Amino acid sequence: MKNSYSRLKWVALIILGGILMFLSMAATAATTPLPLQQQEVSGMVTDQNGLPIPGVTITIKNTNRGTVTNLDGEYSITAPSIGILVFSYIGYTTVETEIDGRDDIDIQLEEDISALGEVQINAGYYNTTRRESTGNISRVTAEEIELQPVVSPIQALQGRMAGVEIIPGGNLPGQASTIRIRGTNSLREEGNFPLYIIDGVPINSTPIESNSNLGNVGIDPLNTLNLANIESIEVLKDADATAIYGSRGANGVILITTKKGREGKTELQARVYRGASTVPNRVDLLNTGEYLQIRRRAFENDGIEPTEDIAYDLLVWDQDKYTDWQEVFFGGTAEVTDMNLNASAGNEHTSYRLSGSYYKQGTVYLGDFDYTKVTAGIQLSHSSESRKFKLDLSANYGVDKNNSVGYMNLSESAFRLQPNAPDVFNADGSLNWEDWNQAGLVNPLNGIYNNSLINGNNLNANLMLSYELFKDFKIKSSFGYTIFNGEEIVKRPKRSYDPASWQNIIDRSNHLYNNRSSWIIEPQIHYNAEFGKLNLTAIVGTTFQNSKNTNFSLQGEGYVSESLIGNLSAAEEIISSSNQTTDYRYNAVFGRLGLDLDQKYYLNFTGRRDGSSRFGPGKRIANFGAIGVAWIFTEESFITNSFPVLSFGKLRGSYGTTGNDQIGDYGYFDAYETTIGPGGLYPNQLSNPDYSWEVNKKLEAAIELGFFEDKINFGLSWYLNRSSNQLVGYSLPSLTGFNSVQANLPATVENTGLEVELSSFNIQSGEFRWQTSLNFTFPKNRLVSYPDIEESSYANTYRVGQPLNIALLYEYSGIDPETGFYNVVDVNGDESLDYQDRTIAWDRGRGFYGGISNNLSYSNFSLQFLWQFVKQEGILALFQAGTLDNQRSEVVNALNQGSKYQRISRSTQASRAYSDVLNSNFPIVDASFLKLKTINMSYSIPNELIIKLGLSSGKIFLNAQNILTISPYQGIDPEQPGRGTAFSALRTITGGLQINF
Amino acid sequence: MKLNSYIKIILITAIIALTSCEDFLEVETPNHKIVSESVFNNDQTALSAMTGIYNELFIATFTGGGRETSVSILTGLSADELKTLRANDLNLTEFEENEIQANNSRNLSIWTSAYNIIYMTNSLLEGVSMSSMISEDVRIMLQGEASFIRAFTYFTLFNLYGEVPLILSTDYRKNALSTQATQADIYDQILADLNVSISSLSAEYRDNDRTRVNRFAAMALSARVHLYLENWEEAERMSSQVIQNNSTYSISQDLNKVFLANSQEALWQISPIGGSGILSYTNEGSTLIFHPSYPALTKVALKDSLVNSFDDHDKRLENWIALHEETGNYYAYKYKDRSSINNISEYSMVLRLSEQFLIRAEARLQQGNLSAAKEDLDVIRERAGLNPIAILEPSINEEDLITLILEERQKELFTEWGHRWMDLKRTGRSQNVLDSKPSEWSDTDRLFPIPAQERMKNPNLRQNPGY
Repeated sequence: MKNSYSRLKWVALIILGGILMFLSMAATAATTPLPLQQQEVSGMVTDQNGLPIPGVTITIKNTNRGTVTNLDGEYSITAPSIGILVFSYIGYTTVETEIDGRDDIDIQLEEDISALGEVQINAGYYNTTRRESTGNISRVTAEEIELQPVVSPIQALQGRMAGVEIIPGGNLPGQASTIRIRGTNSLREEGNFPLYIIDGVPINSTPIESNSNLGNVGIDPLNTLNLANIESIEVLKDADATAIYGSRGANGVILITTKKGREGKTELQARVYRGASTVPNRVDLLNTGEYLQIRRRAFENDGIEPTEDIAYDLLVWDQDKYTDWQEVFFGGTAEVTDMNLNASAGNEHTSYRLSGSYYKQGTVYLGDFDYTKVTAGIQLSHSSESRKFKLDLSANYGVDKNNSVGYMNLSESAFRLQPNAPDVFNADGSLNWEDWNQAGLVNPLNGIYNNSLINGNNLNANLMLSYELFKDFKIKSSFGYTIFNGEEIVKRPKRSYDPASWQNIIDRSNHLYNNRSSWIIEPQIHYNAEFGKLNLTAIVGTTFQNSKNTNFSLQGEGYVSESLIGNLSAAEEIISSSNQTTDYRYNAVFGRLGLDLDQKYYLNFTGRRDGSSRFGPGKRIANFGAIGVAWIFTEESFITNSFPVLSFGKLRGSYGTTGNDQIGDYGYFDAYETTIGPGGLYPNQLSNPDYSWEVNKKLEAAIELGFFEDKINFGLSWYLNRSSNQLVGYSLPSLTGFNSVQANLPATVENTGLEVELSSFNIQSGEFRWQTSLNFTFPKNRLVSYPDIEESSYANTYRVGQPLNIALLYEYSGIDPETGFYNVVDVNGDESLDYQDRTIAWDRGRGFYGGISNNLSYSNFSLQFLWQFVKQEGILALFQAGTLDNQRSEVVNALNQGSKYQRISRSTQASRAYSDVLNSNFPIVDASFLKLKTINMSYSIPNELIIKLGLSSGKIFLNAQNILTISPYQGIDPEQPGRGTAFSALRTITGGLQINF
Repeated sequence: MKLNSYIKIILITAIIALTSCEDFLEVETPNHKIVSESVFNNDQTALSAMTGIYNELFIATFTGGGRETSVSILTGLSADELKTLRANDLNLTEFEENEIQANNSRNLSIWTSAYNIIYMTNSLLEGVSMSSMISEDVRIMLQGEASFIRAFTYFTLFNLYGEVPLILSTDYRKNALSTQATQADIYDQILADLNVSISSLSAEYRDNDRTRVNRFAAMALSARVHLYLENWEEAERMSSQVIQNNSTYSISQDLNKVFLANSQEALWQISPIGGSGILSYTNEGSTLIFHPSYPALTKVALKDSLVNSFDDHDKRLENWIALHEETGNYYAYKYKDRSSINNISEYSMVLRLSEQFLIRAEARLQQGNLSAAKEDLDVIRERAGLNPIAILEPSINEEDLITLILEERQKELFTEWGHRWMDLKRTGRSQNVLDSKPSEWSDTDRLFPIPAQERMKNPNLRQNPGY
C-alpha cells in the first residue's frame, strides 16, 4: 500500500512540475515591463443617490498599488497615465476606468443587486462566485442570521437553504440540532454529521456528551460561537464542492467564515437586544371532570371496585381540584439578552476587527435557570508593502455556562399527571411530599433541587500565511488550533428528594470533563495562469491533523454539607467512573485544477488522497475525486439573441466520490478495559480489524437562470447520492456477547432529490424595495440494496426499497367487537404479534420542505420574514383512556358509543391493546406545518439625528421567532412529531438598538 | 533567475507532496484500553481479567445488578413466592401473571447479560489457552474458575429458556446466527466445564474469600446439575463430598449469620465490590427489604401464601421474614443490609451448604435410602427449630417424604436464584401448583420466551411454544 502510494506521489509531482514549467514560460513571454509615465489622479466616489462612499478600494490594474477613499469619498493616487483604475466596494459593482491622461475622475458605483458575479463564495480551499461555480454551494449571510436569538448558528439556518434539513434537538438552550445535508447517508445515526469548518479549522461535529438533561441529544459544539461574528455560512453539497474534503465530505461540509476588518476609518459598533421566550403552544388535555369520569367508567367497565391503592385519584384526591400541569412545568417566560460590541479599522495593508459579546437566556421551565455566553474575537489581516506576503489571523474565544435542573425531564410529567393530583409545592414554597406519599406516590418534582452546571470554553484560532513567490504563484499554509473544554457538575443534594428516603440518600455530585483539542496544518500551492482565452487555477496541498478527545467522569459522595457539594475535596468518597483519551490522526494530499475557456466553459477537477487512523493498518488510505463542468450558455450569442429576457443561463453538472470515516476511534482494536469494580479488566466490545471507508458517490445536474437583468434568478438542481460499503455498528444478537460490532455492510443507501432556489427583486422603485427568495427541497431516501437482508440482523429494521427512516407497524383493523379493544392484524395468523406482522413501512421522513423569505424596505424601514414549511406525518399518542395518566381531551369521546377509541378500561389487556395500536398505523396523522420562523423589523435612525448625536449610523429593530404555526397536528410542536409531547420551538420576541460610532 | 523559480516550484511541490506519510497515522493504544493479547501476557493482568468477571457478575442484570430484573425476583414472581406492588409496571406484572410478552425488556436483559458474561468467560478461556507467557498454575486456576462461571450461566439460561444456543467462542461471525443446542449438548457442556473446574481448582479459597470459586463450589453446582438430571447417585456423591468437608463448611445455627460475607455455610458468593467499591449492600438486600418509612421504593413483596406455609415456630419465619406494618406486606429478610456504604457485611449467596443437604436428601430418597434422606432433611429442619421427621413421622412413605423435601426447599431457599420455580418445573409440579394463581396458567409458561429482539436479529432462533 505504502509503496504504491509513494510511487503515485512521484508521478503526480513530475506531471505537476512539467505543467507548471510550461505554463510559467508561456506566461512570462507576455509580460515584459515598460517604463511608464506617472501622474496624480484624484476624485470622489459616490453611490446612486450621490452620497459619498468611504472605504472604496482603488487599485491600479495589474499592479499591487492602491488606495481607499476617505470619509468624504475622496481619493488620490499616483498612477501611470495609460493605466486602468479599478474601483471596488462590497455590495457594489466593480468599475474599471482607463485614466487616459485625466487627473480628476469621479465615479458613481451602482449597488450590485444581482451580486451573481461578484460575491465571493467560500468553497473551502478556494473562492468562487455564483456565476463561475461548477458545484452546489448554498450560502447564508450575516444579515440573515445575526439577530436571531438562538444559541448555535445551526439553529439560525432552519428553512433557509435547499437540501439542508435541521431538526432542533429540544427546547433547552444549547442542545444539539440534527442537521442533514441531502438526507441520511449512513445507516448509523452517528455517521451522518456533516463536516464543520470554522475559518479553515475542522471542528468535531459530534455533539458533546452530557450527564444533564441535554444529554439525550448532546451539546452543540458550535454554541460558543458569536452569531454576530459570522460573515457567512456556506454549505457544500455536491461532489464537485465536497470531494476536496475526501473522506470527510460524504455528509456535506459547513463552512463558517467570521467577519474580517475592513479598510477604512475606525468603526465602533454597539448592539443590544432584549426580549422573552415562551412555549407557544399547549396540548389540549382532559380536565378534571372529564378525566375522573373516564376513570370511573374504567372501573365500571372492568367490574372492579376502586380501592385506595389503585384509584387514589378517585378516592383520595380532591375531586374538584384542577391543575394545568403544562402551565406549572413550562409555562414560564425566559428572558433573552444579547449585547455585542465590535471595533474595526484598517488601511491598505493592515486591518483588524475586535469583537465581544454577551448572551443570556432564561428558562421557560419551573425553577431559576439560565444559559450565559461570553465571547471575544480578533481578526487581523496584513499584507506587505509589495502585497506579496499576506497574513490572516482569526481567533475566536467563547465561554458559556448552562445552568439547568439535573436529571429530570420536566416536560414529561406535564402531560402525564392527573389533573386533580395534589399540589407540588406547599404554601410556604417547600415541596409537598405528604399528599403524594399518601397515594403511595412520590412528588413528581422529586429531584428538582438537583442542579446541573455545564461550563464550556472554546478557542478556535487559525493563521493563514501566504507568499506570492512570483506572479500568480502563491505558497500558502494555514495553521489552525482548536480546543474545547467542558466541565459539568450535576449536584444532587439530599434535600432534593423525599425526606422519607433520606436514610438511603447521601449528597452526591457527578462530574464530567470533556476536552477536545485539534491542530491542523495545511501547506498549499496556488497557481493561476491565463493563456489567451483559457484560464487556469490549480491548488495542491496536504493536510496534517491530530485530534485528541479526553473525557473523564467522577462521582463525589457523602458531603458534609449541601453547600460543599461539588467540591471534591469535601467529599467522603470520590469514584472515577471513566477516563478515556482518544487520538485521531488524519493525513491527506489534495488538489484542484480549475479551467475555463472564454468565461463560458468551465471544468473543475478536485481530489483528495486520505488516510485516517480510525481504520486498521492496511485499510487506512483511500482516494476521492470529482469532476464538475459548467456552461454559461448566455455567453453564446445565438441564445441571447433568441431569448432577450434571459440575462444569465448556466448548465452544470458534477460527479465524484466522497467518503465517511465517522466511526468511533480504535474500533479495530481488540482490547480490554477496566471494570467499575476495583482491580478488574474485561472486554467491553467486539473488534473487527477489517473495516474500511463508507463511500458516497454523488451525481448532480443543475440549471441556473437569470431573467430581466438578473432581477429574477432561478436554480434547479437534481442530485443522486449513493452511499455504499456502509460502515455500521453491525447489530448482532446479544448471544454473541454484545449488541453490535463495527463492520462494512454490503448495503447501498440512495438519496435523491430536487432543489429549487428562486429569488426575485419584485419591486425596486425609488426608496421601496421588495425581494423574495424561496427554497424548496423534494428529497427521497431509499435503501437500494442489501444483499440477503432477510438473513441479516437488519431483517426487521430496514426494508429494501423503503427509506431508512421508517417505522414498521401493524395494520390497524378496528375495534374488536368482542373485547371492545383495539385490534391489529395478525398477518401470519400465528396468534401472536411480532415483527412478522408489522407489514406497514411508514416513512417518518419529510415529504418536502423549504422556506420563503421576504425582504422589504422603504426609506428607513425594513422588514424581513421567513416562512418555513414541511410536509410530513407524525404520531399522536396520549389516548389511553382509563389509566392513571391524563390524556388528550379528544379522548373524552371514548365515553360515547361508537367512538374511534377502545372501550375505557384499566386492565392489562387494554394496556396491551393500546401499546400494540401505538405501533400500528392508527395514530398516524398529518404533521405538516407552515411556520413563521422569523420576522425582523428595523428602522434606521435618520441622518439628521445621527449627525446630531455624533454617530455614523444607527437602527432600532424588533425580532420575533416562531410567532405563528399553521398545522393540522394536535401535538404540542409539529417539529417534533414523535408522540405529540416533545417541543423545541420557543416563541421569542426581542427588540434592540444598534449604533455605529 | 527563471531557472531558480522552477527549482523553487519543484522543491516546494516536492516538500508538500512528500511530507505526507502513513506513519503519521499511527496512533498509540489509548490509555483506557489494554490490547487483549497483552492482557494474557502476564499473570497479573490475566488474574485481573478473572477479577473483571467476578466484578461484572455483581453488575450483570441476571444476578441482580438489574434490581428486580434478576433471576431470583422474576422467577419468584413467575412461581408463587413474590407479588408485585406496582400494577402499572407491565414488564414486571407479566412475570407474575405468567403472561410474558416476547418483547418484555426485563426478559431480554436477563438473556443479554447472561450471554455477556459467557462472552467474558470465553474470551478469558481463549486468552489463557493461547498465551504462552502466563504461569501454568495461573492458567489452570483461571481455566477452572472461568469454566465454572460459564457452566453456572448456561445452567441458569437453560432452566429459564430451555434449549438455547451454546456459545463457546468469541467469534461473533460464527456465533451470530447460531441455532439452539439440544438439552443433551447443553448439559454435556455444563458437566464438562464443571469437571474442568473440579479437577483444576484448589480446595482452598483464593485469598480466603468465598467469592472466588474453589473445587467444592464446583462440586456443589455439579451436585445440583446431577439432581436436575436425576443422576441420583452422582448427585449424592458430589453433595457428600461437599458436606464431608466440615472443616470449611458447616450449617450456621444462627439464621441471621447465614448470608454474611464468607459465612460458614457459603460455597460461593458474589461481592458487592463489583458495583463500584463504594456501595456495600447486596442487590438482594436493596430490592427485597422494605424501607421502614418509604415503601414505594420496593416493588415486590412475599406472597402471603408463602408466609402462611411456615410452621408457627419455624425460626425462619421470625428471622428471614419481616412485616412492613404500614402496608401489611411481608418481605424476605435473609439479607439484613438494605443500603449501607463502605462496609461490606454481606455477600450475595449463590451456593450454600443447606442446599447440598437438601440435594442429598432428595438423591438418597430417590435411591430408596429413606432414613439417610430423613437425616439430611432433619439437619435443615432442626436448624429451623422444627422437630425432626425421624421422630415426628418415623414411618413416612416415599411419596410424602419427597413432598416434604420439596416443601423444605421452598421454605429454606425462597427468593434465592429461582429454586422454587425450577423445582416445580423439574418435578413436573408447575401445572398443579401454579394453576391456582389468579392468572391463567398454561403449561408452556414453564419456559420464558426467547426475547423477540433477539429473534429479530437471529432468525435461526425458534420461539418457545406458547409465545
